[in-house]
Amino acid sequence: MAHNAAVIRTMDLLGVFWRSFFIQASWSYDRMQSLGFAFALIPVLRRLYPDRELFTERLAVHMEYFNTQPYIASFVLGAAVKAEEDRASGRNAATDVVELKKTLMAPLGALGDSFFWGSLKPFAASAAVAVLLTGAWWAPLLFLVLYNIVHVGLRLSLVFVGYATAGDVVALMSRYRFTKLARRYKVLSLAIIGCIVGTVTAWGPEFRTDLSVSAPLLAAAGLALTLILITLLRAGASPVKLMIGLAAACLILAWGGFA
Amino acid sequence: MTPFDTHTITQVFVAALIGGIIGLDRTALGQFMISQPVVAGPLTGWLLGDVTAGLVIGGTLELIWVLDMPIGTFVPADSTVTAVAATAIASLGSTTPGQLPVIGFCLLLTVAMVPVTMFADHLMRQRNARIPELAMTSSGQPTEASVTFWHLGGMVVFFLKAFLLCLVLVPAGLALVSGFLALPDAVHRAMSLFVALLPLLGAASVARKLSMKTLDRTLLVGFVIGAVSVQLFQAPELVAIMLAAGGGWMGMRFHGA
Repeated sequence: MAHNAAVIRTMDLLGVFWRSFFIQASWSYDRMQSLGFAFALIPVLRRLYPDRELFTERLAVHMEYFNTQPYIASFVLGAAVKAEEDRASGRNAATDVVELKKTLMAPLGALGDSFFWGSLKPFAASAAVAVLLTGAWWAPLLFLVLYNIVHVGLRLSLVFVGYATAGDVVALMSRYRFTKLARRYKVLSLAIIGCIVGTVTAWGPEFRTDLSVSAPLLAAAGLALTLILITLLRAGASPVKLMIGLAAACLILAWGGFA
Repeated sequence: MTPFDTHTITQVFVAALIGGIIGLDRTALGQFMISQPVVAGPLTGWLLGDVTAGLVIGGTLELIWVLDMPIGTFVPADSTVTAVAATAIASLGSTTPGQLPVIGFCLLLTVAMVPVTMFADHLMRQRNARIPELAMTSSGQPTEASVTFWHLGGMVVFFLKAFLLCLVLVPAGLALVSGFLALPDAVHRAMSLFVALLPLLGAASVARKLSMKTLDRTLLVGFVIGAVSVQLFQAPELVAIMLAAGGGWMGMRFHGA
């Protein structure tokens, strides 16, 4: 095979970063993000494989099944770019990029789900809703800023880290400490959620009740109801069922003249 | 209000367009979280002339569904479509902006919307399975153009899913709201109380997923800081929130999390 001396430039990696925002555009049960992964790599493959046949062959390779957390996919994309570069230049033609993707996608998926969906998102949501309940109109903007500073920043840097480390997960973990960060976001979220319940008497007018009880009693009742709801959720009740239950309870209270 | 005059029909189309566009962010494009209820609700409300309805519905649904995560093949409830549709129904169905009983009723309607959105999502992702095959040319090989065309074409399917769902759900909801407005005052008062209680269900949903304990220490610390700050020291709520976050931070440092 004739080797290509083309090297990957920063602009190429930025192109992959831009295309990573479309990685789930054709998400399906069968191949999940496979087409999105191939789509994101197109500019790099075009640069590394000017030969049309080779380009098509490599594009088909990247259309194999792939699925991971969509943000953390940036790291795998960076690693795949490095593997393709090494292959095209003949430096390390033995690297099996399909195997590399398979090895990375499951553990990184679990890591990304836990960090982005399981801790960053509830943190940004708790902070925004706490602010919203006070009547602040800018709560949605707070949510977007808190979430996207971390999300977009990490997504960009993960492409470069994946490329620089050739997909070394140990290097990734020592650089970002996702587990520790996730734990911190969760603790902050819980404190803010507690505060939401504690400030029930100061919520905006849309969320105030007409119940004639003292402020400390109202806060205590709010905490008691929250703990009951947590217990019911733990017992297997779904939020949908609890919404119906709460609506029924409200109807009974209103009919009884308590609301 | 006449439920289906020309103005309302136009507004329903606008709401469906908003749902379709915002819905793209949920899976297919970017995932900047514009599709989260806390953003999608107020945005829809603002565009349809009732920000209050959007803020109340978005804020309430956000906490209830925030930890319903899309892991593996599991497709969670589509909180984007439910937030946009509920806000649109409240905005178009209310006699005055920010009408709490109608907002409460629209929040209750989301209960019926959830399974419909999940089914539509499931159906669409099954259909999407054909896209990789379509991206192959007659020679059995992909080309740059075919991959780009069919992959980006997937976004049209995601758009249509949210657009069509809103187009069906909003008029159905408006018909129900016109019936709701004729109900006795006690039902209206019940729905106002429902709005006031739902944030507690949201708080419980988040706390249940983030902690193994019902009586979580950090949750209780946040509660005490919040309650004492606003009741004893009459501190502004924003200060209370920051103090609670600070309390959580101190706890973390103390316990070495």
